Amino acid sequence: MKAYGRMGGWAVGLAAVVLLSASPSVRLSAQDSARISEAQAVLAPLIESYGVSSAEGPVRETVKRLLPAWAKSETDTAGNLWVRLGQGTPLVVFVAHMDEIGFRVTAVRDDGSLELEPRGGFLASLFEGQPALVHTDKGDVAGVFVPRDSGFTHHTPPPLRVDVGATSRAGAIARGVSPGATVTMPKQYVRLAGTRATGRSLDDRVGDAAQILALRHLDRAALKHQVIFIWSVREEIGLEGAGVAAAALGTAPRRVHAIDTFVSADSPLELPNFAVAPIGAGAVARALDNSSVTPPAYVDSLLRLARAHGVALQVGTTNGGNDGSMFTLYGVVDVALGWPLRYSHSPVEVIDLKDVASLADLVRAIAESW
Amino acid sequence: MSDRVRQQSAVGALLLLCTLPPVRLSAQSVDQLALRLASMTAVTGLEQAMTDSLLAMLPGSTRDRAGNVTLTLGQGAPKRLLQCPLDEVGYVVGDITGDGYLLLRRVGARTTYPLFDQQLEGHRVTVFGARGAVPGVVAVKSVHLTRGRTGPGAPDPVFTVDNAYVDVGAATAAEARALGIDVLAPVSLAKRPLSYGDRLLAAPGAGRRAACAALIAAVAAKPRSKGTVVIALTVQSLYTGNAGLASLNALLGPFAETKTVALPTRYTDTAVETVALADVDKLVREMVQWVEGR
Repeated sequence: MKAYGRMGGWAVGLAAVVLLSASPSVRLSAQDSARISEAQAVLAPLIESYGVSSAEGPVRETVKRLLPAWAKSETDTAGNLWVRLGQGTPLVVFVAHMDEIGFRVTAVRDDGSLELEPRGGFLASLFEGQPALVHTDKGDVAGVFVPRDSGFTHHTPPPLRVDVGATSRAGAIARGVSPGATVTMPKQYVRLAGTRATGRSLDDRVGDAAQILALRHLDRAALKHQVIFIWSVREEIGLEGAGVAAAALGTAPRRVHAIDTFVSADSPLELPNFAVAPIGAGAVARALDNSSVTPPAYVDSLLRLARAHGVALQVGTTNGGNDGSMFTLYGVVDVALGWPLRYSHSPVEVIDLKDVASLADLVRAIAESW
Repeated sequence: MSDRVRQQSAVGALLLLCTLPPVRLSAQSVDQLALRLASMTAVTGLEQAMTDSLLAMLPGSTRDRAGNVTLTLGQGAPKRLLQCPLDEVGYVVGDITGDGYLLLRRVGARTTYPLFDQQLEGHRVTVFGARGAVPGVVAVKSVHLTRGRTGPGAPDPVFTVDNAYVDVGAATAAEARALGIDVLAPVSLAKRPLSYGDRLLAAPGAGRRAACAALIAAVAAKPRSKGTVVIALTVQSLYTGNAGLASLNALLGPFAETKTVALPTRYTDTAVETVALADVDKLVREMVQWVEGR
């Protein structure tokens, strides 16, 4: 989910949270261990693929590998991956982004260290003094994000650099490093207690996984209209891939469903005045964020659909923007969906796998029945 | 990630120290040994898991009352000591909240990096509970929810251990305890040593661990000791009065000479403390010569 640099004041204070899952009559469809296992099997390789905004190729290949065999995908000029199925109107679009936050090399210094610019919004302190990976055409080059040597009274570090162990510009370039290369830190999918898990770039690989899982279980014969699934690029730097897709489709879609993170205040460090959607309590209708508002009638309809299909669904408001908002410029209604996430844009984002399965169930139900 | 980097990272992911197979020094390079020791955790005063592994690596070694691992080479005078501190500054669980988060207390004070605790924020840790190693993460504010609540000139305080909430996935204190976690369980940053550049090794405490690897490699070279040389991997160097070394002197001393093994480091006391493995090679040769009295 794109982190907006400026938060609209109207977003603060709204805390409309409906916890349908609190009702004992609604069973979490994700409680089956086979569903959890499948969600994990799809999510883990997506987490361990690298794809800073504008360099999503490895993630796109992982998505293609995980799609069902029948799914015919195509890549547009921006790099978005499309899968079309069904016939007729109304056209419904789902979109989840493939890119992740990180850095891009802007220059190689005389001493061999790399100057960087951030790609997306995050706390630079989380990368300072940590292992680094420079993604080059020749493969990944290991290094470290250089820790500061002064200014120790501030949380925020000065602009970060990477040391790849070279002592000259020529030495760094000989390792395959050059301006334009993207930089991240090594990451790993790790299971926590119960059905919880951690990793970096769960935003938005969970959305990618939910779309793949929905496609795997979809009854294509049940589709009453055309549905398009899009895995988009460059969301974190301005919803750019979605903008290209929205322009290509114009006014044709009736609805768009951005499948992206619901940043949750379910943490001892957050204020509980909004974004209150506990992890493990199901998918979330992201009814209001910094980029779009879902018309209330659509939220009500979605709740009825979820209830009819036994899918746990929460409703709330959080910060950030979503790809679907680019479609609203063409009169398309954005009904954004997500799952609750702790510690957004950090190396240790935390989710509950039950919510992943719940979200996939909801995407499938929408495609087949709404 | 390339296969080479993946392999290097995979070594670092080995958190269960006691389940590692014994090291055969004859078939193991110093690089691999340094990497392996750098993946271990030994919070000062709570080093037993690592010393268990070291006892297996050093045939004939014993553990003294203080917890030091010692091995005596040769006999007669002079009686000398060659020692390497193995412990590290770390944390223990100080309390468990009702909603399952662990609170921390720092153990050991000697760190040169003012932002030592800030390195915890938003990173993975390992909790060494009674039922084995448990992965966890240290909570950090979601950047999306921070936006709009801060601005230019706003306070920018550093993160301290008092702000650390460790999330192991438990929703209640009972769930955390069911994982074998309780007050006093050791906690450290997840150890994922990284090799980069021209034989550079980065990890928390890489300098100490690479020095200990050099010491073990020197012993494996079977030097002919001049007199008696006590080889010691010492504990509690970062606690009151270097209690491990003091105990060693009291129990096995006096020594005519004491040499402490150390290596130059870069980014000292950070999560990417870096040591040149070429320096380890050199140190091994120097220690062999020292043991032989040359």
